[in-house]
This record gives sequence, C-alpha cells and structure tokens, in this order.
Amino acid sequence: MTTELAREHEYETQDIMLNMGPQHPSTHGVFRMVLTIDGEVVRDVVPYVGYLHRGAEKLCETMDYRQGIGFMDRTEYLAAFNAELSYVQAVEQVAGLEVPDRAQWIRMILCELNRLSSHFMFTGAFGTDVGVFGTAFTFSFRERENVQDLFEEVTGDRMMYAYFRPGGLAWEVTDNFEQRVHEVLASSRQGISDMDGLLSDNEIFLARTKNIGIISAEEAIEWGMSGPSLRASGVPMDIRKDEPYLKYGEVDFDVVTGETGDVFDRFRCRLDEMRQSVRIIEQCLQRLEPGPILPDRMPRMLRVPPGEAYVRTEAPRGEYGVYLVSEGGNRPYRLKIRSACLSNLQALRDMVIGNYIADAVIILGSIDIVLGEVDR
Amino acid sequence: MTNDGANGDGGDTEADEAAEREAALARTIWADVDRALSGINASPEPGALDLIVTIPKAEVVRGLRVLKDDEQLNFDYLRNLTAIDHQADGITVVYHLYSTAAKHNVTIKAVLPNGDLAVDTATTVWKAANWLERETAEMFGVRFNGHPDPRALLLPEDMTDTFPLRKDHPLAEIEALQGEGMAYAVEEE
Repeated sequence: MTTELAREHEYETQDIMLNMGPQHPSTHGVFRMVLTIDGEVVRDVVPYVGYLHRGAEKLCETMDYRQGIGFMDRTEYLAAFNAELSYVQAVEQVAGLEVPDRAQWIRMILCELNRLSSHFMFTGAFGTDVGVFGTAFTFSFRERENVQDLFEEVTGDRMMYAYFRPGGLAWEVTDNFEQRVHEVLASSRQGISDMDGLLSDNEIFLARTKNIGIISAEEAIEWGMSGPSLRASGVPMDIRKDEPYLKYGEVDFDVVTGETGDVFDRFRCRLDEMRQSVRIIEQCLQRLEPGPILPDRMPRMLRVPPGEAYVRTEAPRGEYGVYLVSEGGNRPYRLKIRSACLSNLQALRDMVIGNYIADAVIILGSIDIVLGEVDR
Repeated sequence: MTNDGANGDGGDTEADEAAEREAALARTIWADVDRALSGINASPEPGALDLIVTIPKAEVVRGLRVLKDDEQLNFDYLRNLTAIDHQADGITVVYHLYSTAAKHNVTIKAVLPNGDLAVDTATTVWKAANWLERETAEMFGVRFNGHPDPRALLLPEDMTDTFPLRKDHPLAEIEALQGEGMAYAVEEE
C-alpha cells in the first residue's frame, strides 16, 4: 500500500535524525547515540559519552594509594575486582611489592567469579535486548545473586568491594570460603547450561543475532577492541594467556574465539568463557593453601619510589589497564585508566551502519558496555 | 654501590650504572626498535615492564608508522594513548603499543614544550587513536594536528578554556578538602 502511494505521488524519502538516550533502557546506562535513518535502516550513528564522567583520574592524584582502590570500583562497577586488580598490580609493580601466593590465588578466584557475575549480567540484559523478555533476565540474575552473596560474605559489600590492597588482601576470607565457592560453582554451572539451552539454539534468537553487526579481525584490532568482543572476530588475544599475571600461567584453560565476529559470536564467546572461568576457579581451589595474605613488612603508609608502569589485565569486557606514574610520595603523579569499553565502543559506528534500528540496540548490547568505565 | 659512592669513587658508579642500563636494554627489544627507527633520533630507557622510547615530537607519528609497518615488530595494536603534565617541562604524550602476533610491547613518548602543545594525529596509523586523542586533547589542551573529529569526548562542549588534568587546574572545594585531610593524616603518621 505505502509503496503504491509512494509511486503514485512520487514521494521523496528523506533521512531523519533519531536521538536515542541518554535515558533509555536499552543503552545500558547513560549513553546517547544520534542515528541518521533512512526508513528503518541506519545510515550514520554518532555516539555521545561522558554523562558519567567523575574525574576519577584527577581525584586519584589527590588521594593516597589505598584510597584510590575505591575509585577503581566505581569505574568498572560490574567487575570491580578486576578493576581493583589492575590498580593494585600497578602500585605493586612500581613499588616493588611481592604478593604472597595465597593472596594471588584468592585474587584469581574472586576475579574469575566476578567474570561469571559480570557475564551473567550480560546474558540477562542481552536476552532482554533481543526480546527474550523476563526469562533470561530472571534466570541470569538468580545466578548472579549467588555470586554477589559470596562477595558480600567475603568483603562486606555487594558491589564496591575495595578488598584488594597493594601487596595482598584487606583481610582473610571467611572460614567456609572454599565450600561456598564450590556451592556457587555448582549453581553457576547449572546457570550457564540454562542460558545455553534457553538462547543458543533458539530460532528467533539466532535470526536476530546471526550475521548482524559483523566486524572483521583486522578492523577490530585497528579499533583497539579487546576482550570477548575482539575474540569473537577470531583473534585469540587474551592477556591471561599472552602475558600471564597472578598464577594464570599455572592453570589450564582455553582461549575461546569466534569465527565471523557477529553479534551471536560475541554472545557465544562470553558464554563459553564462563565455562573456562569455572575451570580456572576449580584449579585455584585445589592449589589454595593456608598462608599470609600480605607481605611481612608492609608500611602503614605506602610510599612509592619514582617510576612508571602500564599494567593491563583481562577484565570481563577486555583490557583494563592502569598507567601509573609516580614521582615518589604517597600518591600517584598521574594515573590513567585504559577503558576496554571506550575502545570497543569506538568500533560501534562501523558495526551499526547499514543495519536496522532494532539491530542497533542488540549490537550495542553485544559489546556489553559499562558507562562508568567509559566515562571514568 | 652506595659504598663506592661514599668512598668518593663516583666515576666507577656511573660506569656501573651505564653498564647496568645497557644490560637492561639488551634484554628488551631495543635492538629491533633501533633498527626500525633508523634515521629517527630516539632515546631508549629500559622501563619496569616495557621498553620506553622517547622520540622528538616532529617525528613521532612517522616513528609510530614505521613501528607498525615493520614486518618483525608489527605493532598493530594501540593499547593506550594519554599524556602526562610535567608542568615546566611541558606535556608528554605517551603511546602504548602492542603486537598481537609477536606479543611484545613498547611505550613511545613525545615531549611537547609548553609554547607549542601540538603533535600530529596518530589516527592515520591506528583508528583506535581517535577517541583517545579526543580525550587527551580536552583534558590537557594538547592539539592533535589533522584529527578527523576534534570534538570534546567526555567534557561538555562549551568547556574549551580549561583543562582538568593539568596540574594547575584547581580542584573543587570538596576534593581539595579531602586532599588536606590526607596531608593531615600523613603528618600524624
């Protein structure tokens, strides 16, 4: 009917601008994109970030090294342990602190559990983006809740943990920690298969995600993408494997990669990565032995000699880097946080152009951004 | 070594330090980087994790291009791009590069003197530099010549006269207060 009308009156189509966000449930935080659309097809997209900018880097320059830990939590709030890890490792690198084995194994367990909880958040939110409204979200959140409960038992907080310290950990884990981790792993394993069964073979889900938002390996590297979003394009880049930190060199796990680099691959990579995380945690539990959690002679006020280090770790969303420049004293001279999501988000334009508006939402969802980390 | 110095044998200590530095450099990929950067006046420093190479600002983008295109070094991935305000000594722009194939890192630095805070854009080498340069530009007041999209990234569009990450940028009252509280705690220590 419309085409007939168009033909009859020779209507001209005109591109229109569509504003999406910053307050929009499917933009995963305060993020705005201005789409230029031709009918349903996106011709151009201009992303706007910065709504959550709190000047974390500047603030860290005014705080001592221990106070900075809390700011890291508030940047990457869905994987706060991983964010803290980069920061404390940067301080340890410049200060020359040795971390006891037990602290390293516990850090690894908590970081991998955080990867699980963060990816559960992703599968839930992504399911909602795609249209599996409700079920995926509640299933995922049930599992995420289990992990959060464990974090709360260990650190006293559900989100902003501030549990890692330069040199080790703030305090010893709870007595029943190992047993609780086993319980959480059992439920998570079930949760992962639930999500797999619910989404991976669902015909509607496949129709929405296959061959949508493709980015090639070369382009993904060129844009500086990292984490599962990069590996989905078939690049086996994983800092845990390439430049092992903590005890990652001593455990067995596979780097999961995709083939085509579409939305489905980015989902699939995260799901399979969760299984690898479970594998890593199981090995960590076997190796965990009693021992100190801080070096013997820790000063009460940490003073760091002049020096600099760019320390990067594999956070759930990719490379979370901390570039620490010290000129002596008890606070950083300059602290730069390298955000994985910021670099991943740059590539959004290439992925979205030429797709439908509805797909723009799931492509954005598949990069799994945390705006707190983008804006810092 | 400190004992040597106390005995007034300063010359030896300096020689030792130089030898140590040479040995530390030999453990890095400096030899390859030096070969690739032939013709560019680069000065190396071993660095705690990665090799640090300082390149004059006029040649830095050419150097980055060479490092990316060199078959052996193959720095195809820009990890990070930022700047450090050294106050009287100008602003240093820092590039962290990585090779996804060879899995090695290098840090490139270029010093911009206070009178001329501008450097060519690295977006011609990696697209990844785009947003990172926008952020560095608005936070430090560094100009990246030839940047394809020189708008503000995180800060409001009209905030063009002040650069928050410079050392002379004042803190808000509440933040300054927290800083003071810190200084107080240090003295108690």
